[in-house]
Amino acid sequence: MDAVEVLVERRSAESLAVLERHWSLRRTFAYVDERSFTAVPWLSEIQEHIPQPYRQDHYCLLTSGTTGAPKLVIGRKENSEQLARVLHRAQDSDPVRETIVTLPLTYCYAFVNQWLWSRVINRRLILTAGLSKPELLRESLRRANDAMLCLVGPQAAMLRGMFGAEAFPGVIRLHFAGGRFPQEQLGALQELFPNATIFNNYGCAEALPRLTLRRAGDSECASDIGYPVAGVQLKSGDSNELLFLSPYRCVAQLDSKGFQEIAPEQWMPNGDQVREGDNGHWHLLGRDSEVFKRYGEKIALPQVLTTVSQQWNGQTGYYREKDSAGEDGYVLLLSPQPGETELHRLMQALRTRHPRTHWPLRIEGAPSLPMRTNGKVDCLAAQKMEDRTLLWRQRL
Amino acid sequence: MAAATLITNIEKLKDLLVDVFLIDPKEFHLDLKREQIDTWDSLGIVSLAVGVQETFGYHFTQDEAIAITGIRDIIAALEARGISFDE
Repeated sequence: MDAVEVLVERRSAESLAVLERHWSLRRTFAYVDERSFTAVPWLSEIQEHIPQPYRQDHYCLLTSGTTGAPKLVIGRKENSEQLARVLHRAQDSDPVRETIVTLPLTYCYAFVNQWLWSRVINRRLILTAGLSKPELLRESLRRANDAMLCLVGPQAAMLRGMFGAEAFPGVIRLHFAGGRFPQEQLGALQELFPNATIFNNYGCAEALPRLTLRRAGDSECASDIGYPVAGVQLKSGDSNELLFLSPYRCVAQLDSKGFQEIAPEQWMPNGDQVREGDNGHWHLLGRDSEVFKRYGEKIALPQVLTTVSQQWNGQTGYYREKDSAGEDGYVLLLSPQPGETELHRLMQALRTRHPRTHWPLRIEGAPSLPMRTNGKVDCLAAQKMEDRTLLWRQRL
Repeated sequence: MAAATLITNIEKLKDLLVDVFLIDPKEFHLDLKREQIDTWDSLGIVSLAVGVQETFGYHFTQDEAIAITGIRDIIAALEARGISFDE
């Protein structure tokens, strides 16, 4: 049997050249971030479970999701190239000459939306070290020439903090995926990127990566994920769970439970809950873990977090916890530490817009929040941070 | 040497109610009634009872907590247990 080669992304031109070469070869490869090096032995161990037909013309990306358990999603190269072309048309990307990468290319969103798109459509790819080296990123943004930038939601607030009043007119497309869409920050983002058309890109690792598209200005609602990308079908199940069909999605996955083929006609869940709006747009209610009942009342955490983000410009995270009565709840994390006035304003917004059951069990502040490699807040790690400060609590 | 600030029981109660019911400190006065505070709901009663125990060391019974109609009732109940609210 052909071996599945494991490629490690190192954010370098050499690493890109290796990726380019392996995409051209028929042999299947797995692409992992250098910070996920512990996955390499795991991949070597489990790859014997990949059947021979998947050892050619495919590629594999690693995802961990919110559980932290590694999973390999296996996509067909041809299908993903087709998606890159579909996205190019749907996102009106023809005027775009280059794409600036701030996320790891092993993240399926950056991999398809940027790397594969640039390869298929023949556009320039500009690697950066992302927000970890803001000065270098600033230089890339200053030199941007009809560029596309792809970010995840939590990076919006960080960009504003880093670059303040500077404007980057060379960015003409700004895409967001991963986490909540930063609807409340559109005004500030438009000041940073005055010539950019902003899009909400929704998807998941299993979709490799895209399911829907919305121009930011088409709705005022952060939970509006827009309409399905051409070829994708969505429906909501009995418990509002999102189910999807897509010709571009992963064709198989491999985790500790073993190898699983995904039939083309098989409706696939992704752990989110949705509802369809009247105008054909879909609305995200939250992750399964973000929608729960508390004292008999249904709580959709994204709705509460919308209120929070309207009052708080810093980073936000949360983790789940039960109260002393055993009822489900959550702890809200804010970073950096808010001042007394900011905290008061936030609490008043919670009071006026949400019943007590929606309020967090506690509000904690921290100098910074741990981030995952894909730019999202690592809520599991945040729960274990030692430098958290209690700002407020419900006595329950 | 700066004079030590003594926090009176009234101030402690005010801080507690602001914290439990998220009322604006400027709205606080001793004649506030339960029906004037929209966040004084059933979970608020539980939260208040826990807060009173933490702050004043007295645990309201469920019946006592439900019977409270305003701030003056809380003060009366605590004064009956020897906790003074004299300025």
